[in-house]
Amino acid sequence: MIQLSKNYSLPERQEEPIPIKVVGVGSAGSNALDRVLLDGMDKADLIAINTDVQSLASSVAARKVQLGRSSTHGLGTGGDPELGYQAAIESADEIRQAIAGARMIFICAGLGGGTGSGAAPIVAQLAREAGSLVIAFATLPFSFEGKRRAAQAQDALSRLNEIANAVICFENDRMGDMVAPKAGIHQAFGIADMTISQSVRSIVNLIQRPGLIRIGFDDLFAALRSQNGRCLFGFGESDTDNRAHDALTQALKNPLMDKGRMLSEAAHVLVQVAGGPGMTLSEVEILMRELGRHVRDHTQIVFGTAVDGKMGNRLSVTIISSLASEDSIATQDTSPPPEPFLAPPPAILEQVEEQPPAPPKIDIVPEIESAALPEPAPDDLIAVEPPVAAEAPPPPVPAPSIKKPAPRLIPPKKKPVMEKEAKPPKEKIVQVKQEVLQFEPVTRGRFEKSEPTIVEGQDLDIPTFLRKNIRVK
Amino acid sequence: MANSDLIVGLEIGTSKICVVVGETRPDGTLRILGVGQAPSRGVRKGEIVDFETAMKCVHEAVVDAEQKSDVMIRSVYVAVAGGHIQSFNNRGCVLLPEERDEIDDQDVEDVKINAREVSIPAQNAFLHSIIQHYQVDGQDGVLNPVGMLGGKLEADFHIIHGVRTRIQNTIRCVKELPLEVEDVVFSALASAQVVLTQHQKNLGALVVDIGGGTTDYILYVDGAVKQSGAIAIGGDHITNDISMGLRIPMARAEKLKTEEGSCVLGNCLPGETILLKDDSGFAGKEIERETLNTIIHLRLRETFELLKRTVEEEPFINYVGAGIFITGGCSLVNGIDHLAGEIFEMPAHVTHAQTLSGLTSAVENPQFSTAIGLLKYAQAVQVDRPRRGITRIFGRFFSGMR
Ligand SMILES: Nc1nc2c(ncn2[C@@H]2O[C@H](COP(=O)(O)OP(=O)(O)OP(=O)(O)O)[C@@H](O)[C@H]2O)c(=O)[nH]1
Ligand SMILES: Nc1ncnc2c1ncn2[C@@H]1O[C@H](COP(=O)(O)OP(=O)(O)OP(=O)(O)O)[C@@H](O)[C@H]1O
Ligand SMILES: [Mg+2]
Ligand SMILES: [Mg+2]
Repeated sequence: MIQLSKNYSLPERQEEPIPIKVVGVGSAGSNALDRVLLDGMDKADLIAINTDVQSLASSVAARKVQLGRSSTHGLGTGGDPELGYQAAIESADEIRQAIAGARMIFICAGLGGGTGSGAAPIVAQLAREAGSLVIAFATLPFSFEGKRRAAQAQDALSRLNEIANAVICFENDRMGDMVAPKAGIHQAFGIADMTISQSVRSIVNLIQRPGLIRIGFDDLFAALRSQNGRCLFGFGESDTDNRAHDALTQALKNPLMDKGRMLSEAAHVLVQVAGGPGMTLSEVEILMRELGRHVRDHTQIVFGTAVDGKMGNRLSVTIISSLASEDSIATQDTSPPPEPFLAPPPAILEQVEEQPPAPPKIDIVPEIESAALPEPAPDDLIAVEPPVAAEAPPPPVPAPSIKKPAPRLIPPKKKPVMEKEAKPPKEKIVQVKQEVLQFEPVTRGRFEKSEPTIVEGQDLDIPTFLRKNIRVK
Repeated sequence: MANSDLIVGLEIGTSKICVVVGETRPDGTLRILGVGQAPSRGVRKGEIVDFETAMKCVHEAVVDAEQKSDVMIRSVYVAVAGGHIQSFNNRGCVLLPEERDEIDDQDVEDVKINAREVSIPAQNAFLHSIIQHYQVDGQDGVLNPVGMLGGKLEADFHIIHGVRTRIQNTIRCVKELPLEVEDVVFSALASAQVVLTQHQKNLGALVVDIGGGTTDYILYVDGAVKQSGAIAIGGDHITNDISMGLRIPMARAEKLKTEEGSCVLGNCLPGETILLKDDSGFAGKEIERETLNTIIHLRLRETFELLKRTVEEEPFINYVGAGIFITGGCSLVNGIDHLAGEIFEMPAHVTHAQTLSGLTSAVENPQFSTAIGLLKYAQAVQVDRPRRGITRIFGRFFSGMR
């Protein structure tokens, strides 16, 4: 059942904004951050953090932190998370300064390379230690980027899962499915940047504009936390006469949402509706009623609206949710218990191949929001709001202290595999089928059977243009 | 025609299997009688990964060669490649006994054995020990020390070795056909025999054979081999990059690379596109020419730059006077000579086998350089030393080969 508060009205005046900082770590992270800024973001501070000075120089973020001045000398890490980790440790003080005073920290990173994978968990760690709430937005590499990158990404992902309050993880392979076959890889990255940007902005808006229902952080995290379940993501926008319906239909078109059928399994659904000043209550009601048909009675809908002058006649809907895996339903409504960090035992590479595909995932819909340049609001971007005393963060979950990353090899997770086989849940049949349809089986393509060509620490089987981060179009 | 005049070279390449049948003529020249070919499957980066499949392909190529040259093939010289192949230079030394001061054949054998008394990884085996120079009592530049007077004979060798089991894989594949293996030769060493003249070897030259799966190289200075090796990068990588970058199937990418590709940038008209036709003839997709060329350029540039860093670990590249000679199928990429020339800052040439008679059309294809080179190699070895049936595969020495 949808619970709308009785005395709702579209907010006229904004309340005191909550200090939020969005941090892009590594080159992918800072590309996504640029996208967030270009798409319009004046309710959070943006910080680019990277080892690579060239990438930092080209970033449009107002604040930049160079990692590992003496360990990486302004270059990237060449795909080595260990180096990324070292660099972050070296620059921990600067990171602390940059992220200080934020109630919430959003971390964006492309996992798989060295800086994003190695440094993002440290940034999350430092943010938690500073008392901030942390949401990580991460991408997993394309399968053709190689097993090494995939393993590094998984390793970083599990680290982030331990530290962050919520992790939203996108699979690049899925992004690839979203772009026209004619498009090049850079376009797929563009889609990834856009997806991260949309979800970051939706959540920022959700928090900064309480709208119809004040959202508790508990609800927010409950909706975002995937707990090894499956993340859902949908975005739709329309300016037709029937724009509320059309935007929702688009958002539900997401293949993973299975025309909304997947939503019926979700315990929490986060919905954010944005529109120009002309957005009406009845439109929002239509939208919520329609969405109600796709969820179960007891599903909790976390809902927010934003009035944005730049939207004009457009109305957009963002849906974010997660399907709990069965074991995690019990803990869904509470903060995750701080799991003791266990260094994975050394494993051999072959065993990594046995790994089941990463469970947490979010899909996106291909509709692209027309990129409107942000209204200049430099003051808001640069100023660091001091934390509001009244809004002191709740006692954060004791976060594990910084540790050296364990070997970048993923331990054989035999158990989960066996569990899955032991009790095939009925409702999950759809999911399984989808995975078969949507996953490309190729991992190393042409070089599957051969020994990887690793020279000077780089996997040369990965296309050169990709490793050099050169957009080929 | 005496059978012993017949020489057969076999390359089990990543893209194709090539069998060249030749004969040595009384005047010492080589004549090509026929070339057999088959597309290669089960080979990646120059190494056999699927034994059964590769064997079938080799068989096919051998049968093809037999038909085309009208001979029965019993034994072959086989080329080997792969990223596991390594090399180094080492000096051997022997002291003549007190009572003798004239250097003989045995001393020359002994100094070679001495030069090999170095440790290579336990799983590796020697492929070649190639003589560079002899020194008699410290005197440089001796070409043939036999008969010279002296007390101490030293010799510098270029030693090539690789992982034993991988080399044995190739041998096993041939022996199970069944064919005899006369010798196993590092592919770039074979190619160099036909793409370089003796004069170019003397001037100093770098031969780079870029095939489907490997880039093999060998560097000559003063007529002697100074450096050699292989990088497991080849045309397959270019094709794979194109396939990923343009999101087209591998077969399409391969066709696009060979028919339209170039590694020269900035030569296209703005917005110049290539129309990819659908197999069914329907309107296909358009590809920007500059995008295609950029993908090829980036890969080849990286490969050449890596090769340059590798050879620059030793000083010899500075003494290369004749330049770079690029061969193998990938040498057919448009503009590759310019790119190599720019990176190495020396003249670069695309070449194929030279100075052979017979099937000139075959000779002119750079994809056959290795297989044809095997014939020239074999000829040099046979001149140097009488044939003795099945030769020792590993651990043989010869002095005529340079
Ligand atoms: N969203 C997005 N993802 C990208 C982009 N470029 C690369 N990626 C992905 O992000 C992963 C990490 O790459 P980078 O961010 O370049 O690496 P890094 O974290 O800077 O680390 P190093 O450069 O190795 O120090 C890659 O494996 C890709 O999957 C991009 O422009 N946008
Ligand atoms: N016209 C052309 N333009 C560009 N590339 C070409 C052309 N013709 C062939 N090639 C490429 O050359 C490669 C094959 O070369 P070659 O036959 O020398 O390799 P190989 O001997 O089978 O492999 P290797 O020696 O690496 O094991 C393939 O990648 C093919 O795409
Ligand atoms: Mg980088
Ligand atoms: Mg070859």
